[in-house]
Amino acid sequence: MPLNSRFWAIIFLSAAFFFSGCTKKKKSYDFDPKNTLFSRLGAEPPSLDWHKSSDTTSAEVIMNMMEGLVEYNLSDPELSLKPALAVKWRAENKAQRWIFTLREGVKWTDGKSFTAQQVVDGWERLLNPATASEYAYFLFGVKNAKAYNSGKIKDFSQVGVHVNSQGELVVDLEAPQSYFPYLLAHHSTYPIRKDVVKKFGDQWTNPRNIQTLGAYRLVKWDHDKAIVLKANKDFYGGEPPIKNVVLHIVKDAQAALNLFDTHKIDILDSLPSVELKHLRKRPEYRTVPLLGIYYFGLNVKKKPTDNVLVRKALSMAIDRKEITDMLGGGQVPMTSWVPKGMFGYMPDKGLKFNVKKARELLDKAGYKDRSRFPTLKLLFNTNEDHQRVAENIQAQLKRNLGINVELGNAEWKVYLSALKSNNTPHIFRMGWIADFPDPDNFLNLMTSYSANNHTNWSNKEFDRLILKAATVTDKKERLRLYGKAQEILVEKEVPVIPIYSYVSTQLVSKRVLGYASNAMGIKKYKEMRLQ
Amino acid sequence: MSQQGVPAMSKTPSIDEEVWEQDLKERLFAKIPLFIFSLLMFTVALSFMGYEIPDALLWADFLLVFGVFTVYVVSRHLTLYVFKRLGEAVLTLFIIASLTFLLLRIMPGGPFDRDKALPPEVLANIEAKYNLNAPLYVQYFDYLKGLSRGYLGESYKYIGRGVTDIIMEALPVSFQLGFYSLILAFLLGIPLGVFAASKHNSRFDYFAMFLANSGTALPSFLVGPILIIIFCFWLNWLPAAFWDGPEYYILPVLTLGLRPVAVIARLTRANVLDVIRSDYIRTARSKGLAEKVVLYKHVLKNSLIPVLTFSGPLAAAILSGSFVIELIFNIPGIGKHFVESVTNRDYPLILGVTLVFSFLLVLANLIVDLLYVYFDPRIKLS
Amino acid sequence: MRSSSKSLWIDAFNRLKKNKASMVSLGIIIVLCFIALFARQISPYPFDEQHMDAILQPPSARFWLGTDSLGRDLLSRVIYGARMSMAVGILTAFISLILGTIYGVISGWFGGRVDALLMRALDIITSIPTLVLMILVKVIFDSVQLFENPELRALTSILLALSLVGWVSLARVVRGQVLQVKEMTFVEAARALGASQFWTVIKHVLPNILGPIIVLLSFQIPSNILFESFLSFIGLGLQPPFSSWGVLASEGAKSIRSYPHVIISPGVALFIAMLAFQFLGDGLRDALDPKMKGSV
Repeated sequence: MPLNSRFWAIIFLSAAFFFSGCTKKKKSYDFDPKNTLFSRLGAEPPSLDWHKSSDTTSAEVIMNMMEGLVEYNLSDPELSLKPALAVKWRAENKAQRWIFTLREGVKWTDGKSFTAQQVVDGWERLLNPATASEYAYFLFGVKNAKAYNSGKIKDFSQVGVHVNSQGELVVDLEAPQSYFPYLLAHHSTYPIRKDVVKKFGDQWTNPRNIQTLGAYRLVKWDHDKAIVLKANKDFYGGEPPIKNVVLHIVKDAQAALNLFDTHKIDILDSLPSVELKHLRKRPEYRTVPLLGIYYFGLNVKKKPTDNVLVRKALSMAIDRKEITDMLGGGQVPMTSWVPKGMFGYMPDKGLKFNVKKARELLDKAGYKDRSRFPTLKLLFNTNEDHQRVAENIQAQLKRNLGINVELGNAEWKVYLSALKSNNTPHIFRMGWIADFPDPDNFLNLMTSYSANNHTNWSNKEFDRLILKAATVTDKKERLRLYGKAQEILVEKEVPVIPIYSYVSTQLVSKRVLGYASNAMGIKKYKEMRLQ
Repeated sequence: MSQQGVPAMSKTPSIDEEVWEQDLKERLFAKIPLFIFSLLMFTVALSFMGYEIPDALLWADFLLVFGVFTVYVVSRHLTLYVFKRLGEAVLTLFIIASLTFLLLRIMPGGPFDRDKALPPEVLANIEAKYNLNAPLYVQYFDYLKGLSRGYLGESYKYIGRGVTDIIMEALPVSFQLGFYSLILAFLLGIPLGVFAASKHNSRFDYFAMFLANSGTALPSFLVGPILIIIFCFWLNWLPAAFWDGPEYYILPVLTLGLRPVAVIARLTRANVLDVIRSDYIRTARSKGLAEKVVLYKHVLKNSLIPVLTFSGPLAAAILSGSFVIELIFNIPGIGKHFVESVTNRDYPLILGVTLVFSFLLVLANLIVDLLYVYFDPRIKLS
Repeated sequence: MRSSSKSLWIDAFNRLKKNKASMVSLGIIIVLCFIALFARQISPYPFDEQHMDAILQPPSARFWLGTDSLGRDLLSRVIYGARMSMAVGILTAFISLILGTIYGVISGWFGGRVDALLMRALDIITSIPTLVLMILVKVIFDSVQLFENPELRALTSILLALSLVGWVSLARVVRGQVLQVKEMTFVEAARALGASQFWTVIKHVLPNILGPIIVLLSFQIPSNILFESFLSFIGLGLQPPFSSWGVLASEGAKSIRSYPHVIISPGVALFIAMLAFQFLGDGLRDALDPKMKGSV
């Protein structure tokens, strides 16, 4: 027995010894909530390198620690541009040449000055084939940019961007682009510190190495946990009111909602859709249109959707409002193509819901005997919301036209490769979210040369209208051209069935002030305050 | 409780001095595993309570376990066997890597297929960067070359981050979660199983098994939210998500641990029943040994062997993370990479996590096989 | 041989009858099978009928268990769910059983190098990422359509994907049992008498390993049903609009805080079925254990 007790004595003594030497771990993100904003990122940002990242999560972080030449005026519902690193800009040569006057006295986080050359450096890096940037195509409108990116031109000085003797940035385009300045609000066109990238290589986005010039600087990046930003005292627009921003990385919408309800997160967007009907009763609930469309494409090379009458009948037989009511998040039912909240939104265009007419059209197409109508295959990528919409459309077409639709779902990448294959199904689901708030971004999608047009549909007149509209600077004339293009797309030819215009649904804690929910889903912490 | 894993210690006092001396030595020797076990448990408790664990303690744990295992392997003449198995493991891992490599390329969809299709020029640059435009066999041999140097490549999704870095950052979290759950499973499962078996076909048996089976009766994506609603929203005792200290550990560990608890309880019960009915236990009983002594000393040790067999794959599966639980409780573990790397077609990361899992599996099975010899000296390994 | 094995089964059944929990479970399973078979006749609404005026409604006189996010009657969905879930559980178990038994018997019976090779192959198959296999199986069987019946079509890929994962553990157990039985005197005697290998396996080995296999089968069924629910949760489940308990549970779990009624009914159904299968499995194991002969 003494052996036993001695043994345990040793154990306990050593335990006590270790115990006294140990310290309790500090909680990881223990900031004073009075001057700290807690928000959520929906995923781990793949990269904070603004020339390499290609997703919205990274963009959210980057846009708060960096600035571009221009930025969106978020309180303007039409999202006009306002000066940022450029104080003013003008178009020459019918919008084929753009000249930007840059702000002076802007400092990077290490105190070095911002110069026009850093913008050129940024573009060179973006377009350099070795960078392998996904967003390189954003600048393909710039003269010789595409040739440089594909390696046909090795000398960057041939690309249409340079600094003139007055220190202004001069951009020459391949063809006139009336919306060009919008592209410069995008993070892929931001300036860069070549010296920093060269010094640290792939590691330059580490909080220790990175140099930025925005309202916040990156102080911590715990992968898969959180990103911490601190106010930049030397920001050219003045130190922002919120001193710390903690961005928790929370993948699951349900978990994020739980965290919001336990006051761990102040701002929450992309709410769990099944719960919207319930959540919209809450005082913190907000909804704004989001520049995006939800649509179904039709394969115009496959029987029976090769028949325009059938396509029209399908489009007319679907009650969009039934779908948006079911989803219950305030989505806007839509028969036209350009989303709500953007100029070019023409809600009266398109084929309206009309069961009688739809049935007549189908009769006229030679399917008076509905049993002769082949079963349509509708494919969507696996997701509960897409599934609900697809199941509803299946039921509607059965009810309104008496035709059978077979549903199929596929994992996202399998789905994409199915759309690219020769065997595209009759009907497939797709969506598009704006890269920049201009109708060109949406109508370009359905041109014959667009890689995103999976319908096999092409129309010369449509292509011509879109190309022309891009070069026109007069807003009224553009509107007219886009109106005509939409008529072809959703009334005459109908290779697509638009369903609704997206909305962004959010829960915003009452203590957050000055947050302008906007159609591009951008969050600028520098414009917010805490109560 | 902690004495289960230790050979039965004779407590009969001996009168003869010499014999007593020898007995003392034996007993001291027998205490070594117990000591290490206590130290391990202490480390676990420390980490569970949210303390910073000194590196010295971790090293001590590691060296002691490793040392004892080495001594054990050498003393039982298993060294050759271990090396043979490790050699086999390398071969197995190689085949797994090759096969997975091939399957990934058969699978439709590439890593850079986006919802917004990339222009061909841009895609060409990306494929050149990752060498994806080279013939498949060149890519394969390049990958193997890297693998032989222990280099797993760079993620396609998390640009500029090495697969090894990603795994090394996520794996410890999953290990922590898995380890707590395993401990819960053994600590609860074995006694529950023994208890149920000892009261076979009685109300207690049914009740204990009902308790255990309930743990496997619902999917964890349902158990997790239910626990959150009860403990976070109704009772307001525990946080709903994150991984930042003891109060954060409880719910995920419980959710992950329930299934192994049930499985182990059932296995233990079945095997205890098996052993109870065997002849030599009947003899022990008929000799008039107390029921408890029979149950815990003779029955348990013998009925743990099948539980042990099962523990290998179980440990590997649990330590390599759980997608669902990490999702529900927002835990930055490796489980998500098993699912997301596949949906992202992040080839290097898929291969990386696959190899990590197979390595854990092979290792766990080897350890289990070695432990067999300890529990049942009649078993011969060759 | 034959008569003694028959009495063995009768003995086993008598032992099973003594176990109340197992008998209750057996009753529940039989009821569930009936519900599954006659789903169309029992359910108050078609499983895919949408009532747009009644989305996400709590239980009422019109919809006894409430409705889901498409206004479909949950009671009907749960009843049809029984059909799909039981089909997934049972069919998958049988497919894995056949694959696993053949593989295990070959491995165990021939032993030696064949055995070592086959067992290594199993290790490798276990380690190949399940998700990759699932996606591949789904892609292949979505393009090759074997059946006309839409229900079967929705089931094929999930059945095959699950069987592909499930047979491995069965093969291991069967092999272990064969290794034991092989050494028994009557098998050796049969071989010594010059019976063909094939015949010996069929006549002497298989009947003797049937007990453990049945037990394993009864455990395989619930784990298949649960695995199907996991697949639904990560979006690789059954083809819509068909419902299984897994599909329903994963839908319900996502809105558990706002609409608890959506999760309660499939949850309870799943819970009861799982418990029933497990208790029956435990009971079978106790009953079929040869060591327990005569000890009741």
